[in-house]
Amino acid sequence: MNTSMKPLIELKNITKTFDDQQILKGVSLNIYEKEFLTLLGPSGCGKTTTLRIIAGFDEADDGDLLFDGIEISKLPPYKREVNTVFQKYALFPHLNVFDNIAFGLNIKKTEKSVVQQEVEKMLRLVGLSGFENRDVTSLSGGQQQRVAIARALINKPKVLLLDEPLGALDAKLRKEMQFELKKIQQEVGITFIYVTHDQEEALSMSDTVVVMNDGYIQQIGSPTDVYNEPENRFVAQFIGESNIIEGKMIRDCLVFFDDFEFECVDKGFKDNEEIDVVLRPEDIDIVEPQCAKLQGVVSSIVFKGVHYEILVETKYRNYLIHTTDYHEVGRAVGLTFGPEDIHVMWKSF
Amino acid sequence: MVLCFAFFYVPIIITMIFSFNSSKSFANFTGFSLRWYESLINDSEILSAVGVSVSVAVIATVVSTILGTITAIGLSKSRKILKEWVLNINNIPIMSPDIVTAIGLMILFTSVKLEKGYFTMLLAHICFCTPYVITSVYPKVRSVDVNIANAAMDLGATPFQALTKVIVPMIKPGIYAGMLLAFTMSIDDFVISYFVSGNGVENISMIVYNATKRINPTINALSTVVIMTIFVVVFAVKIAPVIAKQQWFRRLSVKIPLAVKRVFLFASCAAVVFSLIQFGGIYRGGTTKTLKVYNAGEYIDESLLELFEEQFDCKVIYETFDSNESMYTKVMSGEKYDIIIPSDYMIERLAKEDFLQPVDKSLLDNFDNVIPAILNQPFDPENQYSIPYFWGNVGILYDSTVVRESDLEAGWEILRNPDYKDNIYMYDSERDSFMIALKALGYSLNTTDKSELDRAYEWLSEQKRLVNPVYVGDDVIDNMVSGYKAMAVVYSGDAAYIMSENENMRFYAPECGTNLWIDGMVITKDCKNTALAHDWIDFMLEDENAAVNTEMVGYSSPVEAVYTEISQTVYEGNEAYVPRQDNPKDEYFRYQDPEIKKYSAELWTKVKTQ
Repeated sequence: MNTSMKPLIELKNITKTFDDQQILKGVSLNIYEKEFLTLLGPSGCGKTTTLRIIAGFDEADDGDLLFDGIEISKLPPYKREVNTVFQKYALFPHLNVFDNIAFGLNIKKTEKSVVQQEVEKMLRLVGLSGFENRDVTSLSGGQQQRVAIARALINKPKVLLLDEPLGALDAKLRKEMQFELKKIQQEVGITFIYVTHDQEEALSMSDTVVVMNDGYIQQIGSPTDVYNEPENRFVAQFIGESNIIEGKMIRDCLVFFDDFEFECVDKGFKDNEEIDVVLRPEDIDIVEPQCAKLQGVVSSIVFKGVHYEILVETKYRNYLIHTTDYHEVGRAVGLTFGPEDIHVMWKSF
Repeated sequence: MVLCFAFFYVPIIITMIFSFNSSKSFANFTGFSLRWYESLINDSEILSAVGVSVSVAVIATVVSTILGTITAIGLSKSRKILKEWVLNINNIPIMSPDIVTAIGLMILFTSVKLEKGYFTMLLAHICFCTPYVITSVYPKVRSVDVNIANAAMDLGATPFQALTKVIVPMIKPGIYAGMLLAFTMSIDDFVISYFVSGNGVENISMIVYNATKRINPTINALSTVVIMTIFVVVFAVKIAPVIAKQQWFRRLSVKIPLAVKRVFLFASCAAVVFSLIQFGGIYRGGTTKTLKVYNAGEYIDESLLELFEEQFDCKVIYETFDSNESMYTKVMSGEKYDIIIPSDYMIERLAKEDFLQPVDKSLLDNFDNVIPAILNQPFDPENQYSIPYFWGNVGILYDSTVVRESDLEAGWEILRNPDYKDNIYMYDSERDSFMIALKALGYSLNTTDKSELDRAYEWLSEQKRLVNPVYVGDDVIDNMVSGYKAMAVVYSGDAAYIMSENENMRFYAPECGTNLWIDGMVITKDCKNTALAHDWIDFMLEDENAAVNTEMVGYSSPVEAVYTEISQTVYEGNEAYVPRQDNPKDEYFRYQDPEIKKYSAELWTKVKTQ
């Protein structure tokens, strides 16, 4: 993202406590115009609370919330230029599709003909033309989701907040909707703040991924950044699968683990500092034992469709490896990886 | 299932059929007529009660629905522990008997010195209706997704708009159910209204209850109207959604919600206007002289009330009770009246408890008109506190076509003659029944000797074994008009009425003595305007008024000239209208010692359950 731009929304050291439990322990985040930003983390990490604070349903205990440079913490939800798509859609069951979508405009007492026009436009956008008079309760989950999006977008918000909007859909539909959401975002050209616990969803749609855990932001970065260069053990584990190995930084570009020294590309650590090493399963190659420093025995192999998932038992640990080659269980193998495949992280606390 | 429905609906259908009966009887259908509907329309007391019932119900429904809905919504947002507690507390008034709520409210209103009347009744109804609304609305609120309100506000609705445009429409079914419950609860409430109302404000239930002393088919007509109204409402509620789903109707229905709204608005306005009139009435009542009279139900010709108001330029607040005991309870709870008309033994009790003011006979021009034989009786020597209102005795009413004259010589013993097995009505009243047994045995009916009571108990249980009498209340009147049984123990005034309706009936008081009774007018200690109270007593003793009254009610007038006149004209040859005054064995009831009362009550229970 273009960080020289002025952020649209700024969160500064936001904290929030519910029933003696601190949900947010100081969250700071900048969100930019037209950005697709995802708050990613396991349940209870504070991502939804962050979203609700931006929407105005909850108020932060402490910290600042700026919208276009103006403090909006005390502003009620109906005065904020954001709209929300809720987890279970929260459609109004007593209204039909048309009236659900028109709700925001009707509240503003918009002229009837304009409402008609806008609703039709929205229905077209979400692909539900002709559904105007349908009962919302008679729609499928995906259709309800589209209505919820249309209902939120008709108010022309500067930011659309989406709280696990695809959580209730089946896998196939979810994929379709991911694609569609991205398309809609590009069409309307506004900021999306998207909450999910599904890392794949986060990686495939977002411009920026914010990984959260335990009330803190763990890492902010592009999908490739957070995948390839996780900042700590939590991010590495949460985003994709990985081998995390405790080790020591001998000096810049030289790391020690599992009895051997390996060349790497990481710098900036103290000499002999305790660190964690991340090796993504697809970055490890299986070779003949004599060609590698690390040696072990194949202990299991599972076919995953595109690749095999192989576990290799070495002296200190099992390595998880993704490869397209088949290796028999019990076979002695060697493991290799290049310097750029090794990612060194600060030890997490 | 058919049987079940028959069980539900037969009573209702019978009520409806008899509302079209041309005669007063509930037993024989003598022909179709609308006279009871006519008298319903002309009965200002019933009409004003309908007004009270409906306006209280409408206002209470609206207020309790709003209160209950807001509470339910608020509750769903509060903490779990609070929620559970409030819901449990909310259930207490629903589950507890009405009488407990009623007494609680009555004590509350008395203790905060709120004058009982329309306003207190309205408050009480709001109070007992609200829990029902909460109970029916709360589950609906619970079922609403927590994010619905957020979604509305997110889309630009203020919290109030979110409530009115989203939450309320979604929980509408619950609100309607609550409204319906509240309305039915309010409109048919008797117990609570009875205790918290005052100053002559009565609703339909209270009128009906107090009117059961006398058969009054107007009540049937009223019931029929009420049932039809309910039927129409239920029909509308059930059928309307079905019709609304029809396509042809949808096209028409655009304007219907508006019409419904208007009707509702109109009803509310009407109710509010009515209640304002009620308040206004009380207000006006405060500026002129008022007299509060408490009398037994169906015990006056009500035209006399208006006449008195006219003559003395005052307002009479007239209320009725169903028994001396319930009157006593209400008076002791702090309800204030100027004039009460209790029976002899109750007069003695009230005087003993220092509740009455002496009557100043020098203020009563017509006191000399009273039959001397019914004055100066042991329950109130010198008539210090009471002036007779009606009087009479108790005797046996018999069907002269069935009962042999010769059998009558046995006196009360005829009630144990096995020839009349299953053919006798007795009063379901401990004191009246023991009176008969004691007199049959030659004792005083005010005996305090437990062995005499034991003997009386044996007499009564033997009677039950021999003739198996049916123990009844005021329904004896209509049953005897219809001639269902050969004999019945009745009050002379009721007998006079029955005989005027059924010429086969005769009345006789056994020689071995019976119960003489007098209902008297007394002035309470609470009475401020004693001059007006005396005017009232004097007014009731005036020849003309006493004549109107005795003709309407059927009991014997205490005014000598009227008594003589009526006994020779309207009730000529009607031995029940002329209770004997010369048998030394006849006695008045005295106030009973509580221990004796309890003892005989226990014996009476044993008789009935043996």
